[in-house]
Amino acid sequence: MGFVAPALLLIAVFLIFPALWTIYIGLTNYELTGPNAVAPQLVGIDNFVNALNDALFQNSLWLTALFVLGSAVIGQNILGFVLAWTLRKAKPGLRRTVESLVLLAWILPSTVVAYLWFAVLDRDGGTLNSLLGSEGTAWLVEYPMLSLIVFNTWRGTAFSMLLYSSALAAVPPSQLETARVVGASGWQTVRDIVFPHIRGHVLTNTLLISLWTANDFSPFLLTAGGPNHASETLPVFIYRQALEGGQLGYASAISLLLLLANLVVAAVYLWLLRRKS
Amino acid sequence: MRRAWKPWGALAWLSGILFVLPVLWMVLTSFHTESDAATNPPSLFAGLSLQGYEEFFGASTGQSPWPPLINSVSASVGSTVLVLLLAIPAAYALSIRPVKKTSDVLFFFLTTKMLPVVAGLLPIYLIAQYSGLLDNISFLVVLYTSMNLPIAVWLMRSFLAEIPKEMLEAAALDGAGLVTTLRRVVAPVAVPGIAATALICFIFSWNELLFARVLTGVVAGTAPVFLTGFVTSQGLFLAKMCAAATIVSLPVLVAGFAAQDKLVQGLSLGAVK
Repeated sequence: MGFVAPALLLIAVFLIFPALWTIYIGLTNYELTGPNAVAPQLVGIDNFVNALNDALFQNSLWLTALFVLGSAVIGQNILGFVLAWTLRKAKPGLRRTVESLVLLAWILPSTVVAYLWFAVLDRDGGTLNSLLGSEGTAWLVEYPMLSLIVFNTWRGTAFSMLLYSSALAAVPPSQLETARVVGASGWQTVRDIVFPHIRGHVLTNTLLISLWTANDFSPFLLTAGGPNHASETLPVFIYRQALEGGQLGYASAISLLLLLANLVVAAVYLWLLRRKS
Repeated sequence: MRRAWKPWGALAWLSGILFVLPVLWMVLTSFHTESDAATNPPSLFAGLSLQGYEEFFGASTGQSPWPPLINSVSASVGSTVLVLLLAIPAAYALSIRPVKKTSDVLFFFLTTKMLPVVAGLLPIYLIAQYSGLLDNISFLVVLYTSMNLPIAVWLMRSFLAEIPKEMLEAAALDGAGLVTTLRRVVAPVAVPGIAATALICFIFSWNELLFARVLTGVVAGTAPVFLTGFVTSQGLFLAKMCAAATIVSLPVLVAGFAAQDKLVQGLSLGAVK
Protein backbone atom coordinates (compact mmCIF):
# COMPACT_ATOMS: atom_id res chain seq x y z
CA MET A 1 0.00 0.00 0.00
CA GLY A 2 2.88 2.33 0.76
CA PHE A 3 3.96 2.08 -2.86
CA VAL A 4 0.58 3.22 -4.15
CA ALA A 5 -0.24 5.93 -1.60
CA PRO A 6 1.65 8.90 -3.14
CA ALA A 7 0.06 8.25 -6.53
CA LEU A 8 -3.40 7.94 -4.97
CA LEU A 9 -2.95 11.19 -3.04
CA LEU A 10 -2.14 13.15 -6.17
CA ILE A 11 -5.07 11.60 -8.04
CA ALA A 12 -7.38 12.46 -5.14
CA VAL A 13 -6.30 16.12 -5.14
CA PHE A 14 -6.39 16.73 -8.89
CA LEU A 15 -9.05 14.34 -10.16
CA ILE A 16 -11.49 13.36 -7.42
CA PHE A 17 -11.62 16.57 -5.42
CA PRO A 18 -12.26 18.74 -8.54
CA ALA A 19 -15.03 16.34 -9.59
CA LEU A 20 -16.73 16.74 -6.19
CA TRP A 21 -16.24 20.50 -6.34
CA THR A 22 -17.88 20.56 -9.77
CA ILE A 23 -20.92 18.83 -8.28
CA TYR A 24 -21.12 21.49 -5.59
CA ILE A 25 -20.68 24.44 -7.97
CA GLY A 26 -23.35 22.91 -10.19
CA LEU A 27 -25.82 23.35 -7.35
CA THR A 28 -25.10 27.08 -6.99
CA ASN A 29 -25.70 30.21 -9.04
CA TYR A 30 -21.98 31.03 -9.13
CA GLU A 31 -21.09 33.54 -11.86
CA LEU A 32 -17.86 34.95 -13.22
CA THR A 33 -18.81 38.57 -12.39
CA GLY A 34 -21.48 40.46 -10.46
CA PRO A 35 -22.98 39.80 -7.02
CA ASN A 36 -23.23 36.04 -7.56
CA ALA A 37 -19.46 35.91 -8.07
CA VAL A 38 -18.89 37.21 -4.54
CA ALA A 39 -21.63 35.37 -2.70
CA PRO A 40 -22.98 32.46 -4.75
CA GLN A 41 -26.09 30.82 -3.33
CA LEU A 42 -27.28 27.25 -3.39
CA VAL A 43 -30.08 26.90 -5.91
CA GLY A 44 -30.61 23.15 -5.71
CA ILE A 45 -31.35 21.46 -8.98
CA ASP A 46 -32.42 24.67 -10.77
CA ASN A 47 -29.42 24.49 -13.13
CA PHE A 48 -30.35 20.99 -14.20
CA VAL A 49 -34.00 21.92 -14.75
CA ASN A 50 -32.90 24.95 -16.78
CA ALA A 51 -30.55 22.80 -18.83
CA LEU A 52 -33.28 20.39 -19.82
CA ASN A 53 -35.39 23.32 -21.04
CA ASP A 54 -32.50 25.10 -22.75
CA ALA A 55 -32.77 24.81 -26.53
CA LEU A 56 -29.03 25.49 -26.86
CA PHE A 57 -28.22 22.61 -24.51
CA GLN A 58 -30.52 20.26 -26.42
CA ASN A 59 -28.87 21.43 -29.61
CA SER A 60 -25.38 20.66 -28.36
CA LEU A 61 -26.47 17.33 -26.91
CA TRP A 62 -27.75 16.35 -30.35
CA LEU A 63 -24.60 17.65 -32.06
CA THR A 64 -22.41 15.69 -29.63
CA ALA A 65 -24.35 12.51 -30.40
CA LEU A 66 -23.98 13.20 -34.11
CA PHE A 67 -20.25 13.90 -33.70
CA VAL A 68 -19.66 10.69 -31.72
CA LEU A 69 -21.77 8.55 -34.03
CA GLY A 70 -20.34 9.98 -37.25
CA SER A 71 -16.68 10.32 -36.41
CA ALA A 72 -16.06 7.66 -33.74
CA VAL A 73 -18.60 4.84 -33.89
CA ILE A 74 -18.75 4.87 -37.69
CA GLY A 75 -15.77 6.83 -39.04
CA GLN A 76 -12.79 5.82 -36.89
CA ASN A 77 -14.12 2.34 -36.13
CA ILE A 78 -14.75 1.29 -39.72
CA LEU A 79 -11.81 3.06 -41.30
CA GLY A 80 -9.53 1.73 -38.56
CA PHE A 81 -10.74 -1.82 -39.12
CA VAL A 82 -10.47 -1.58 -42.91
CA LEU A 83 -6.91 -0.27 -42.61
CA ALA A 84 -5.93 -3.00 -40.14
CA TRP A 85 -7.55 -5.66 -42.37
CA THR A 86 -5.80 -4.28 -45.45
CA LEU A 87 -2.39 -3.90 -43.82
CA ARG A 88 -2.55 -7.44 -42.43
CA LYS A 89 -1.59 -8.71 -45.88
CA ALA A 90 0.89 -5.96 -46.74
CA LYS A 91 4.65 -6.41 -46.53
CA PRO A 92 6.09 -5.53 -43.08
CA GLY A 93 7.93 -2.47 -44.38
CA LEU A 94 4.87 -1.05 -46.10
CA ARG A 95 2.73 -1.86 -43.09
CA ARG A 96 5.01 -0.02 -40.72
CA THR A 97 5.25 3.00 -43.01
CA VAL A 98 1.50 3.35 -43.42
CA GLU A 99 0.96 2.85 -39.69
CA SER A 100 3.46 5.62 -39.00
CA LEU A 101 1.76 7.98 -41.42
CA VAL A 102 -1.68 7.36 -39.92
CA LEU A 103 -0.20 7.71 -36.45
CA LEU A 104 1.07 11.19 -37.31
CA ALA A 105 -2.46 12.55 -37.24
CA TRP A 106 -3.01 11.05 -33.81
CA ILE A 107 0.10 12.32 -32.03
CA LEU A 108 0.43 15.87 -33.35
CA PRO A 109 -0.66 18.66 -30.96
CA SER A 110 -4.31 19.61 -31.47
CA THR A 111 -3.28 23.24 -32.07
CA VAL A 112 -1.14 22.14 -34.99
CA VAL A 113 -3.72 19.86 -36.61
CA ALA A 114 -6.47 22.41 -36.12
CA TYR A 115 -4.35 25.06 -37.83
CA LEU A 116 -3.54 22.68 -40.68
CA TRP A 117 -7.18 21.93 -41.34
CA PHE A 118 -8.03 25.58 -40.99
CA ALA A 119 -5.51 26.42 -43.69
CA VAL A 120 -6.40 23.50 -45.96
CA LEU A 121 -10.15 24.23 -45.72
CA ASP A 122 -9.82 28.00 -46.06
CA ARG A 123 -12.30 29.62 -48.42
CA ASP A 124 -9.90 31.70 -50.50
CA GLY A 125 -6.41 30.31 -50.06
CA GLY A 126 -7.32 26.75 -49.08
CA THR A 127 -5.69 23.84 -50.87
CA LEU A 128 -8.85 21.70 -50.82
CA ASN A 129 -10.85 24.22 -52.83
CA SER A 130 -8.14 24.55 -55.44
CA LEU A 131 -7.85 20.77 -55.71
CA LEU A 132 -11.62 20.24 -56.02
CA GLY A 133 -12.18 23.35 -58.09
CA SER A 134 -14.72 24.54 -55.53
CA GLU A 135 -13.32 28.05 -54.99
CA GLY A 136 -15.29 30.15 -52.56
CA THR A 137 -16.64 27.26 -50.47
CA ALA A 138 -16.17 28.08 -46.79
CA TRP A 139 -16.25 24.48 -45.53
CA LEU A 140 -16.11 25.30 -41.84
CA VAL A 141 -18.99 27.78 -42.18
CA GLU A 142 -21.19 25.99 -44.69
CA TYR A 143 -20.66 22.41 -43.51
CA PRO A 144 -19.34 22.78 -39.94
CA MET A 145 -20.44 19.41 -38.56
CA LEU A 146 -19.40 17.50 -41.67
CA SER A 147 -15.97 19.16 -41.49
CA LEU A 148 -15.63 18.29 -37.80
CA ILE A 149 -16.64 14.67 -38.42
CA VAL A 150 -14.15 14.24 -41.27
CA PHE A 151 -11.49 16.02 -39.22
CA ASN A 152 -11.99 13.80 -36.18
CA THR A 153 -12.08 10.64 -38.28
CA TRP A 154 -8.73 11.62 -39.76
CA ARG A 155 -7.38 12.59 -36.37
CA GLY A 156 -8.39 9.49 -34.41
CA THR A 157 -8.36 6.53 -36.79
CA ALA A 158 -4.81 5.54 -35.77
CA PHE A 159 -5.94 4.24 -32.39
CA SER A 160 -8.61 1.93 -33.84
CA MET A 161 -6.24 0.79 -36.58
CA LEU A 162 -3.52 -0.17 -34.10
CA LEU A 163 -5.94 -1.84 -31.72
CA TYR A 164 -7.56 -3.88 -34.49
CA SER A 165 -4.15 -4.79 -35.93
CA SER A 166 -3.15 -6.45 -32.69
CA ALA A 167 -6.62 -8.00 -32.34
CA LEU A 168 -6.43 -9.51 -35.84
CA ALA A 169 -3.10 -11.07 -35.02
CA ALA A 170 -4.94 -13.18 -32.43
CA VAL A 171 -7.37 -14.71 -34.95
CA PRO A 172 -6.18 -18.29 -35.62
CA PRO A 173 -4.71 -18.43 -39.15
CA SER A 174 -6.01 -21.98 -39.61
CA GLN A 175 -9.61 -20.75 -39.42
CA LEU A 176 -8.92 -18.01 -41.97
CA GLU A 177 -7.33 -20.62 -44.20
CA THR A 178 -10.40 -22.86 -43.90
CA ALA A 179 -12.63 -19.94 -44.84
CA ARG A 180 -10.49 -19.31 -47.89
CA VAL A 181 -10.58 -22.95 -48.93
CA VAL A 182 -14.38 -23.18 -48.74
CA GLY A 183 -14.54 -20.00 -50.82
CA ALA A 184 -16.02 -17.60 -48.25
CA SER A 185 -16.09 -13.97 -49.38
CA GLY A 186 -14.14 -11.30 -47.53
CA TRP A 187 -17.27 -10.04 -45.82
CA GLN A 188 -18.38 -13.56 -44.79
CA THR A 189 -14.94 -14.22 -43.34
CA VAL A 190 -15.04 -11.02 -41.32
CA ARG A 191 -18.58 -11.62 -40.09
CA ASP A 192 -18.38 -15.32 -39.23
CA ILE A 193 -14.75 -15.90 -38.29
CA VAL A 194 -13.01 -12.65 -37.43
CA PHE A 195 -15.79 -10.81 -35.60
CA PRO A 196 -16.53 -13.49 -32.96
CA HIS A 197 -12.83 -13.48 -32.07
CA ILE A 198 -12.50 -9.72 -31.74
CA ARG A 199 -15.90 -8.86 -30.26
CA GLY A 200 -14.33 -7.73 -26.98
CA HIS A 201 -11.85 -5.55 -28.85
CA VAL A 202 -14.63 -3.96 -30.91
CA LEU A 203 -16.58 -3.11 -27.75
CA THR A 204 -13.58 -1.72 -25.90
CA ASN A 205 -12.42 0.28 -28.88
CA THR A 206 -15.87 1.72 -29.51
CA LEU A 207 -16.20 2.72 -25.87
CA LEU A 208 -12.81 4.42 -25.70
CA ILE A 209 -13.09 6.37 -28.92
CA SER A 210 -16.70 7.36 -28.19
CA LEU A 211 -15.80 8.83 -24.82
CA TRP A 212 -12.69 10.54 -26.14
CA THR A 213 -14.70 12.05 -28.97
CA ALA A 214 -17.54 13.18 -26.71
CA ASN A 215 -15.05 14.96 -24.45
CA ASP A 216 -12.86 16.33 -27.22
CA PHE A 217 -12.18 20.04 -27.16
CA SER A 218 -10.60 20.41 -30.62
CA PRO A 219 -13.90 21.41 -32.31
CA PHE A 220 -13.45 24.70 -30.46
CA LEU A 221 -10.17 25.32 -32.27
CA LEU A 222 -11.73 24.70 -35.68
CA THR A 223 -15.14 26.35 -35.52
CA ALA A 224 -15.44 27.71 -31.94
CA GLY A 225 -18.95 26.22 -31.98
CA GLY A 226 -20.15 28.42 -34.80
CA PRO A 227 -21.62 29.58 -37.00
CA ASN A 228 -24.52 30.39 -34.69
CA HIS A 229 -24.05 27.28 -32.46
CA ALA A 230 -24.19 24.96 -35.48
CA SER A 231 -21.15 22.96 -34.32
CA GLU A 232 -21.31 23.53 -30.58
CA THR A 233 -20.63 20.12 -29.05
CA LEU A 234 -20.97 19.79 -25.27
CA PRO A 235 -17.36 20.56 -24.25
CA VAL A 236 -17.47 23.68 -26.40
CA PHE A 237 -20.89 24.61 -24.99
CA ILE A 238 -19.57 24.23 -21.42
CA TYR A 239 -16.47 26.28 -22.17
CA ARG A 240 -18.46 29.09 -23.78
CA GLN A 241 -21.10 29.13 -21.04
CA ALA A 242 -18.36 29.39 -18.40
CA LEU A 243 -15.87 31.76 -19.98
CA GLU A 244 -17.93 33.78 -22.44
CA GLY A 245 -21.28 33.70 -20.64
CA GLY A 246 -19.79 33.73 -17.12
CA GLN A 247 -22.40 31.18 -15.97
CA LEU A 248 -20.06 29.08 -13.84
CA GLY A 249 -22.78 27.28 -11.87
CA TYR A 250 -24.73 26.43 -14.99
CA ALA A 251 -21.61 25.28 -16.85
CA SER A 252 -20.65 23.03 -13.92
CA ALA A 253 -24.10 21.46 -13.89
CA ILE A 254 -23.76 20.68 -17.60
CA SER A 255 -20.27 19.25 -16.98
CA LEU A 256 -21.85 16.95 -14.49
CA LEU A 257 -24.48 15.86 -17.00
CA LEU A 258 -21.71 15.11 -19.50
CA LEU A 259 -19.89 13.11 -16.83
CA LEU A 260 -23.07 11.16 -16.08
CA ALA A 261 -23.62 10.49 -19.78
CA ASN A 262 -20.07 9.10 -19.94
CA LEU A 263 -20.76 6.81 -17.00
CA VAL A 264 -24.01 5.57 -18.53
CA VAL A 265 -22.23 4.71 -21.78
CA ALA A 266 -19.50 2.94 -19.82
CA ALA A 267 -22.08 0.97 -17.81
CA VAL A 268 -23.80 -0.18 -20.99
CA TYR A 269 -20.40 -1.26 -22.28
CA LEU A 270 -19.63 -3.28 -19.16
CA TRP A 271 -23.02 -4.94 -19.38
CA LEU A 272 -22.45 -5.90 -23.02
CA LEU A 273 -18.98 -7.19 -22.22
CA ARG A 274 -20.21 -9.28 -19.34
CA ARG A 275 -23.09 -10.72 -21.35
CA LYS A 276 -20.48 -12.18 -23.68
CA SER A 277 -18.70 -14.20 -21.01
CA MET B 1 -2.29 -15.37 -52.60
CA ARG B 2 0.53 -13.48 -54.27
CA ARG B 3 -1.89 -11.95 -56.78
CA ALA B 4 -4.02 -10.49 -53.99
CA TRP B 5 -1.13 -8.46 -52.57
CA LYS B 6 -1.08 -5.76 -55.19
CA PRO B 7 -4.50 -4.10 -54.69
CA TRP B 8 -4.04 -4.32 -50.92
CA GLY B 9 -0.68 -2.65 -51.17
CA ALA B 10 -1.96 0.12 -53.41
CA LEU B 11 -4.92 0.75 -51.12
CA ALA B 12 -2.62 0.88 -48.11
CA TRP B 13 -0.30 3.35 -49.82
CA LEU B 14 -3.21 5.53 -50.89
CA SER B 15 -4.67 5.78 -47.41
CA GLY B 16 -1.26 6.46 -45.90
CA ILE B 17 -0.73 9.31 -48.33
CA LEU B 18 -4.20 10.74 -47.68
CA PHE B 19 -3.49 10.77 -43.96
CA VAL B 20 -0.13 12.45 -44.25
CA LEU B 21 -1.10 15.03 -46.88
CA PRO B 22 -1.87 17.92 -44.49
CA VAL B 23 1.37 17.26 -42.60
CA LEU B 24 3.40 17.13 -45.81
CA TRP B 25 1.82 20.40 -46.85
CA MET B 26 2.88 21.92 -43.52
CA VAL B 27 6.50 20.81 -43.73
CA LEU B 28 6.84 21.75 -47.40
CA THR B 29 5.27 25.18 -46.91
CA SER B 30 7.51 25.85 -43.93
CA PHE B 31 10.55 25.57 -46.25
CA HIS B 32 9.17 27.97 -48.86
CA THR B 33 9.48 31.73 -49.10
CA GLU B 34 6.33 33.64 -48.16
CA SER B 35 5.61 34.50 -51.80
CA ASP B 36 5.92 30.85 -52.91
CA ALA B 37 3.85 29.69 -49.95
CA ALA B 38 1.04 32.06 -50.88
CA THR B 39 0.37 30.53 -54.30
CA ASN B 40 -2.60 28.26 -54.70
CA PRO B 41 -2.45 25.38 -55.57
CA PRO B 42 0.80 25.07 -53.61
CA SER B 43 3.95 25.37 -55.74
CA LEU B 44 5.51 22.00 -54.98
CA PHE B 45 8.75 22.58 -56.79
CA ALA B 46 9.56 26.12 -55.71
CA GLY B 47 13.03 26.64 -54.29
CA LEU B 48 13.54 25.82 -50.64
CA SER B 49 14.16 28.55 -48.13
CA LEU B 50 14.69 28.92 -44.39
CA GLN B 51 12.96 32.29 -44.38
CA GLY B 52 9.92 30.95 -42.50
CA TYR B 53 12.10 29.60 -39.69
CA GLU B 54 14.18 32.78 -39.49
CA GLU B 55 10.98 34.80 -39.22
CA PHE B 56 9.58 32.44 -36.58
CA PHE B 57 12.69 32.90 -34.46
CA GLY B 58 12.16 36.64 -34.68
CA ALA B 59 14.54 37.71 -37.46
CA SER B 60 12.55 40.87 -38.21
CA THR B 61 10.29 41.31 -35.18
CA GLY B 62 12.86 40.44 -32.51
CA GLN B 63 10.14 38.47 -30.71
CA SER B 64 11.65 35.24 -29.42
CA PRO B 65 9.64 31.99 -29.33
CA TRP B 66 12.10 30.46 -26.86
CA PRO B 67 10.29 31.23 -23.56
CA PRO B 68 7.14 29.23 -24.48
CA LEU B 69 9.25 26.42 -25.94
CA ILE B 70 11.31 26.24 -22.75
CA ASN B 71 8.10 26.31 -20.68
CA SER B 72 6.80 23.36 -22.66
CA VAL B 73 10.04 21.44 -22.15
CA SER B 74 9.93 22.14 -18.39
CA ALA B 75 6.28 21.12 -18.07
CA SER B 76 6.59 17.94 -20.14
CA VAL B 77 9.97 16.71 -18.93
CA GLY B 78 9.29 17.72 -15.32
CA SER B 79 5.92 16.00 -15.18
CA THR B 80 7.21 12.90 -16.98
CA VAL B 81 10.02 12.46 -14.44
CA LEU B 82 7.56 12.88 -11.57
CA VAL B 83 5.11 10.45 -13.17
CA LEU B 84 7.83 7.80 -13.42
CA LEU B 85 8.94 8.30 -9.83
CA LEU B 86 5.37 7.79 -8.60
CA ALA B 87 4.13 5.26 -11.13
CA ILE B 88 6.94 2.71 -11.08
CA PRO B 89 6.47 1.67 -7.42
CA ALA B 90 2.68 1.78 -7.75
CA ALA B 91 2.67 -0.32 -10.91
CA TYR B 92 5.08 -2.80 -9.37
CA ALA B 93 2.94 -3.17 -6.27
CA LEU B 94 -0.19 -3.66 -8.37
CA SER B 95 1.34 -6.10 -10.83
CA ILE B 96 2.74 -8.61 -8.37
CA ARG B 97 -0.49 -8.76 -6.42
CA PRO B 98 -3.67 -10.18 -7.96
CA VAL B 99 -6.27 -7.42 -8.19
CA LYS B 100 -9.98 -7.99 -7.69
CA LYS B 101 -12.13 -7.70 -10.81
CA THR B 102 -14.08 -4.73 -9.45
CA SER B 103 -11.04 -2.67 -8.58
CA ASP B 104 -9.63 -3.60 -11.95
CA VAL B 105 -12.64 -2.06 -13.61
CA LEU B 106 -12.50 1.03 -11.41
CA PHE B 107 -8.87 1.39 -12.29
CA PHE B 108 -9.70 1.06 -15.94
CA PHE B 109 -12.01 4.05 -15.80
CA LEU B 110 -9.65 6.25 -13.87
CA THR B 111 -6.87 5.44 -16.24
CA THR B 112 -8.15 6.02 -19.68
CA LYS B 113 -8.45 9.77 -19.56
CA MET B 114 -12.14 9.26 -20.02
CA LEU B 115 -13.54 12.00 -17.91
CA PRO B 116 -14.37 15.26 -19.63
CA VAL B 117 -11.38 17.51 -19.03
CA VAL B 118 -13.53 20.58 -19.40
CA ALA B 119 -15.46 19.53 -16.26
CA GLY B 120 -12.37 19.93 -14.11
CA LEU B 121 -11.40 23.28 -15.55
CA LEU B 122 -13.12 25.55 -13.04
CA PRO B 123 -12.15 23.73 -9.80
CA ILE B 124 -8.57 23.42 -10.97
CA TYR B 125 -8.48 27.09 -11.91
CA LEU B 126 -9.74 27.91 -8.41
CA ILE B 127 -7.11 25.64 -6.81
CA ALA B 128 -4.40 27.43 -8.79
CA GLN B 129 -5.83 30.81 -7.83
CA TYR B 130 -6.07 30.02 -4.09
CA SER B 131 -2.56 28.61 -4.02
CA GLY B 132 -1.21 31.64 -5.89
CA LEU B 133 0.14 29.48 -8.70
CA LEU B 134 -1.70 30.95 -11.68
CA ASP B 135 0.66 31.55 -14.59
CA ASN B 136 3.30 29.44 -12.85
CA ILE B 137 4.87 26.55 -14.74
CA SER B 138 5.30 24.43 -11.60
CA PHE B 139 1.51 24.19 -11.27
CA LEU B 140 1.31 22.74 -14.77
CA VAL B 141 4.06 20.26 -13.88
CA VAL B 142 2.06 18.93 -10.94
CA LEU B 143 -1.23 19.02 -12.85
CA TYR B 144 0.16 17.09 -15.82
CA THR B 145 1.74 14.61 -13.42
CA SER B 146 -1.63 13.82 -11.89
CA MET B 147 -3.37 13.71 -15.27
CA ASN B 148 -0.87 11.22 -16.71
CA LEU B 149 -0.30 9.19 -13.58
CA PRO B 150 -3.26 6.81 -13.99
CA ILE B 151 -2.50 5.97 -17.59
CA ALA B 152 1.19 5.53 -16.73
CA VAL B 153 0.41 3.11 -13.92
CA TRP B 154 -1.96 1.23 -16.18
CA LEU B 155 0.52 0.99 -19.04
CA MET B 156 3.40 -0.05 -16.84
CA ARG B 157 1.28 -2.61 -15.06
CA SER B 158 0.51 -4.22 -18.40
CA PHE B 159 4.21 -4.27 -19.27
CA LEU B 160 5.20 -5.66 -15.87
CA ALA B 161 2.49 -8.33 -16.08
CA GLU B 162 4.52 -9.89 -18.89
CA ILE B 163 7.19 -11.01 -16.45
CA PRO B 164 6.53 -14.71 -15.91
CA LYS B 165 5.65 -15.47 -12.31
CA GLU B 166 7.95 -18.51 -12.52
CA MET B 167 10.92 -16.23 -13.03
CA LEU B 168 10.14 -14.32 -9.86
CA GLU B 169 9.65 -17.56 -7.96
CA ALA B 170 12.87 -19.01 -9.33
CA ALA B 171 14.71 -15.87 -8.24
CA ALA B 172 13.22 -16.19 -4.76
CA LEU B 173 14.20 -19.88 -4.58
CA ASP B 174 17.76 -18.99 -5.50
CA GLY B 175 17.76 -16.62 -2.55
CA ALA B 176 17.77 -13.37 -4.53
CA GLY B 177 16.81 -10.30 -2.49
CA LEU B 178 14.44 -7.57 -3.64
CA VAL B 179 17.24 -5.48 -5.15
CA THR B 180 18.75 -8.37 -7.10
CA THR B 181 15.32 -9.47 -8.33
CA LEU B 182 14.53 -5.95 -9.49
CA ARG B 183 17.87 -5.53 -11.19
CA ARG B 184 18.28 -8.93 -12.81
CA VAL B 185 14.70 -10.10 -13.48
CA VAL B 186 12.37 -7.11 -13.55
CA ALA B 187 14.53 -4.39 -15.10
CA PRO B 188 15.40 -6.15 -18.39
CA VAL B 189 11.70 -6.65 -19.11
CA ALA B 190 10.51 -3.37 -17.63
CA VAL B 191 12.95 -0.84 -19.07
CA PRO B 192 11.55 -0.76 -22.63
CA GLY B 193 8.06 -0.46 -21.14
CA ILE B 194 9.11 2.35 -18.84
CA ALA B 195 10.73 4.17 -21.74
CA ALA B 196 7.57 3.87 -23.82
CA THR B 197 5.41 5.05 -20.93
CA ALA B 198 7.68 8.05 -20.45
CA LEU B 199 7.44 8.97 -24.13
CA ILE B 200 3.64 8.68 -24.10
CA CYS B 201 3.39 10.91 -21.01
CA PHE B 202 5.74 13.37 -22.67
CA ILE B 203 3.51 13.50 -25.77
CA PHE B 204 0.33 14.04 -23.73
CA SER B 205 1.87 16.86 -21.68
CA TRP B 206 3.49 18.54 -24.65
CA ASN B 207 0.20 18.56 -26.56
CA GLU B 208 -2.05 19.68 -23.70
CA LEU B 209 -3.80 22.92 -24.57
CA LEU B 210 -6.99 23.48 -22.60
CA PHE B 211 -5.50 23.82 -19.11
CA ALA B 212 -2.39 25.59 -20.34
CA ARG B 213 -4.59 28.11 -22.11
CA VAL B 214 -6.67 28.87 -19.04
CA LEU B 215 -4.03 28.59 -16.31
CA THR B 216 -1.12 30.46 -17.87
CA GLY B 217 -0.51 33.95 -19.16
CA VAL B 218 2.52 35.75 -20.49
CA VAL B 219 5.03 34.12 -18.12
CA ALA B 220 4.24 30.42 -18.17
CA GLY B 221 2.50 30.06 -21.55
CA THR B 222 3.46 26.80 -23.29
CA ALA B 223 4.22 26.22 -26.96
CA PRO B 224 0.67 25.17 -27.96
CA VAL B 225 -0.72 28.31 -26.29
CA PHE B 226 1.88 30.42 -28.09
CA LEU B 227 1.00 28.74 -31.37
CA THR B 228 -2.72 29.47 -30.89
CA GLY B 229 -1.89 33.13 -30.40
CA PHE B 230 0.43 33.00 -33.38
CA VAL B 231 -2.42 31.81 -35.62
CA THR B 232 -4.39 34.92 -34.70
CA SER B 233 -1.55 37.38 -35.14
CA GLN B 234 0.51 35.79 -37.93
CA GLY B 235 -2.01 33.47 -39.63
CA LEU B 236 -1.61 35.24 -42.98
CA PHE B 237 2.10 34.41 -43.18
CA LEU B 238 1.82 30.80 -44.26
CA ALA B 239 5.52 29.93 -44.33
CA LYS B 240 6.13 31.45 -40.91
CA MET B 241 3.04 29.73 -39.45
CA CYS B 242 4.02 26.37 -40.92
CA ALA B 243 7.55 26.76 -39.59
CA ALA B 244 6.10 27.46 -36.14
CA ALA B 245 3.76 24.46 -36.36
CA THR B 246 6.61 22.21 -37.53
CA ILE B 247 8.86 23.26 -34.65
CA VAL B 248 6.09 22.70 -32.10
CA SER B 249 5.38 19.26 -33.62
CA LEU B 250 8.98 18.11 -33.78
CA PRO B 251 9.36 16.82 -30.18
CA VAL B 252 6.20 14.69 -30.32
CA LEU B 253 7.14 13.32 -33.73
CA VAL B 254 10.48 12.13 -32.41
CA ALA B 255 8.92 10.74 -29.22
CA GLY B 256 6.05 9.12 -31.14
CA PHE B 257 8.23 7.22 -33.55
CA ALA B 258 10.60 6.14 -30.80
CA ALA B 259 7.63 4.72 -28.89
CA GLN B 260 5.63 3.40 -31.84
CA ASP B 261 5.95 -0.34 -31.25
CA LYS B 262 5.45 -0.18 -27.52
CA LEU B 263 2.68 2.37 -27.97
CA VAL B 264 0.67 -0.15 -29.94
CA GLN B 265 1.43 -2.94 -27.54
CA GLY B 266 0.83 -0.88 -24.43
CA LEU B 267 -2.37 0.82 -25.44
CA SER B 268 -3.96 -2.28 -26.92
CA LEU B 269 -2.81 -4.77 -24.29
CA GLY B 270 -3.85 -2.34 -21.64
CA ALA B 271 -7.20 -1.73 -23.28
CA VAL B 272 -8.11 -5.34 -23.81
CA LYS B 273 -7.57 -7.80 -21.06
